[in-house]
Amino acid sequence: MRSLGLPLISFGLTGAVVANAYYQKKQFYPSVVYITKSNSSMAVIYIQALILVILIGKLVKKIFFGQLRAAEFEHLMERSWYAVTETCLAFTVFKDDFSPKFVALFTLLLFLKAFHWLTEDRVDFMERSPMISYIFHIRIIVLLTMLGLLDLYFIVGAYQTTVTKGASVMIVFGFEYAILLTVCVNILIKYLLHTIDLNREVFWESKAVFFLYMELVMSFVKVIMYVVFVLIMMRVYTLPLFAFRPMYYAARSFRKALKDVINSRSAIHHLNNSFPDATSEELTEADNVCIICREEMQSASKKLPCNHIFHTSCLRSWFQRHQTCPTCRTSILEPVAPPRDTPPPPPQAPQQPPLPPFAFPFNPLHMPFQPPHPPQQPAQGSAAGQGAQQTPGASTSGTAPGASSGRPGAQPQQPPPPPPGFPGFPMFPGMPMPGMGPSPFLPSMMPFMAYSIPPPVPPPDFTGLTEEQLRAMESNAREGVESRLRCLQNIQLLLDAATLMLQQYSVAAASANVANTMSAAQSPPPSGEATGSTQYQQGPDLTTEPQPPFGTPPPTTSTPTSSSTESQPSPSSQDVPTPESNTQPSTSGTSMGSSSSSSLTNGVPVSETDEQREIRLRRLQKFATNSTTNE
Amino acid sequence: MAGSALRRLMAEYKQLTINPPEGIIAGPVNEENFFEWEALITGPEGTCFEGGVFPAKLTFPSDYPLSPPKMQFTCDMFHPNKPNDESGANVDAAKMWREDREEFNKKANKLVRRTLGLD
Repeated sequence: MRSLGLPLISFGLTGAVVANAYYQKKQFYPSVVYITKSNSSMAVIYIQALILVILIGKLVKKIFFGQLRAAEFEHLMERSWYAVTETCLAFTVFKDDFSPKFVALFTLLLFLKAFHWLTEDRVDFMERSPMISYIFHIRIIVLLTMLGLLDLYFIVGAYQTTVTKGASVMIVFGFEYAILLTVCVNILIKYLLHTIDLNREVFWESKAVFFLYMELVMSFVKVIMYVVFVLIMMRVYTLPLFAFRPMYYAARSFRKALKDVINSRSAIHHLNNSFPDATSEELTEADNVCIICREEMQSASKKLPCNHIFHTSCLRSWFQRHQTCPTCRTSILEPVAPPRDTPPPPPQAPQQPPLPPFAFPFNPLHMPFQPPHPPQQPAQGSAAGQGAQQTPGASTSGTAPGASSGRPGAQPQQPPPPPPGFPGFPMFPGMPMPGMGPSPFLPSMMPFMAYSIPPPVPPPDFTGLTEEQLRAMESNAREGVESRLRCLQNIQLLLDAATLMLQQYSVAAASANVANTMSAAQSPPPSGEATGSTQYQQGPDLTTEPQPPFGTPPPTTSTPTSSSTESQPSPSSQDVPTPESNTQPSTSGTSMGSSSSSSLTNGVPVSETDEQREIRLRRLQKFATNSTTNE
Repeated sequence: MAGSALRRLMAEYKQLTINPPEGIIAGPVNEENFFEWEALITGPEGTCFEGGVFPAKLTFPSDYPLSPPKMQFTCDMFHPNKPNDESGANVDAAKMWREDREEFNKKANKLVRRTLGLD
């Protein structure tokens, strides 16, 4: 309604003005003179001209573009506003030349610019449109020839005016049309590339390369033109402020094009030199679909250090943007170096790690929630401890391990005293290998159990491993080295988690000390609170958590103790030979359990545990994804 | 041969149609433009969003697999990971989720009811 109303009003006004002039002067020539002399009449005429231009523009748009897409319209509006403001800036430089002709020329320039933008958007859309009709091709070809010819015509006109009449505003026009001509050429090349691509049956790999170099050359030409223009303008007139924004954009796109070309080259170099081609066996082993393009991989695919396979061409475009594996986000620049720099991962490293990736991650998460189980947790802990201790060969003296495991259980009541425990404390976060021998570390580990930081128990034997895992461990081939490295990465992850927990622990311990003293004075019966906390701590989320590897850790850690896995409530009774040693750990266990639970309830505020739970869940997810991607 | 982004989106659309994931329906708004999708996501069972149906709009960039799509819920949403006007995440929601779970659940429930046209 509005779009129709304005032209109608304008036509009406023009008609009124002309009729009025003719009515007053009765003749053609005097009425024309009358109109040109009258400012108000001229204003109406100018508005009429503007509206005519807009109407013609709409007609041409209808012919060549049909309905504009929302994005195209938005783009057009945005650019038009910039163009209009820049034109206003240009007016300030050429205020002496200001005349209706000048305004008309600028309007025409804006008009043609708008069509260049629209054509560019349309051609860009070719790649995204599933259907390209013949009409589309005809429209674009006709439009491009017309725009190109007009640009050329105006360039020549501007050049001749400048040569014959000296420097004037025509320099600006000539330059603007020259820029538009480069845009036109750019669109034409894009159009040709897209058309060639559309008519091919197979994926055209080198299209992206052509695009890259085209962008580079065209933006370079633009930058050169802008620089020359600014220099000329500065010599003849003054600093052309209105040219700065487009110049900046041209420079930026040139920089981007240059960067793209460099990145692309380095990516190709990387691809060709660092990563092996995927063999057909590997392709069939994986699910054979490149996750970048979601198409099947038959040939020309590469395998990254993290064992993920992709199309070479897909990887090339991916590496231009990101230097990581698309699946697991491992940096492709880093892991390539380690295999060469550190080829010998210590021989004992692969011995336990094949288990840790599955067992360890869930141990630290699983254990912390057992302290509220006063009698069970220490029992299980000591059982695991015994298991670890028995393997070194302590099975000869049955009572000794029981006693030794009982004592560390009692230690957490007064954390500072144990001399062997304390040295272990600072070592824990930076401990290089979890498998530095279980027995020397066990006493130092035990105190942590009470504070929900369990020791990373190394797998005492390999019963939990499958045939493939064992074979992967002993192999010296690439896969073996890679799996070892992966294990080491997992260990590092675990250590990070451990440091995180330690930090949490220190925070909790600090607050617990304060709160403990307060609560000791206030609340003598901690048992009720303890049960309350048990319910809270255990939480339904942990037990109902559908993490498949979750159930694995208990069996793996306690495999040496054979049957203890099923009967969790009283594992110590089966493991420890003598009844005396049996009672000892359990009693110490209860005391430890109560102490830990009371410290938890009193010292740690509820929000703290909430936070911990969230962190734990996050970590669980992380581990879950990690283990799945590694498989 | 069409552009790689288009082919990938078509492949994904096909996959989603043949083999739809549970609780999610998604597809292009119209099949002439594969870069604008709409989706319906049902609240997962066992969460406070259970039973709700949440519409969302997805916009894919022209270099799609290389840059991520933008997704926006077209209904009211109260979720820690859902950006609001001020920031990339809903801090209020996260805070409430942590400190006042009951209130959070109540609010989520209200949203669920609203998406079902009950309120």
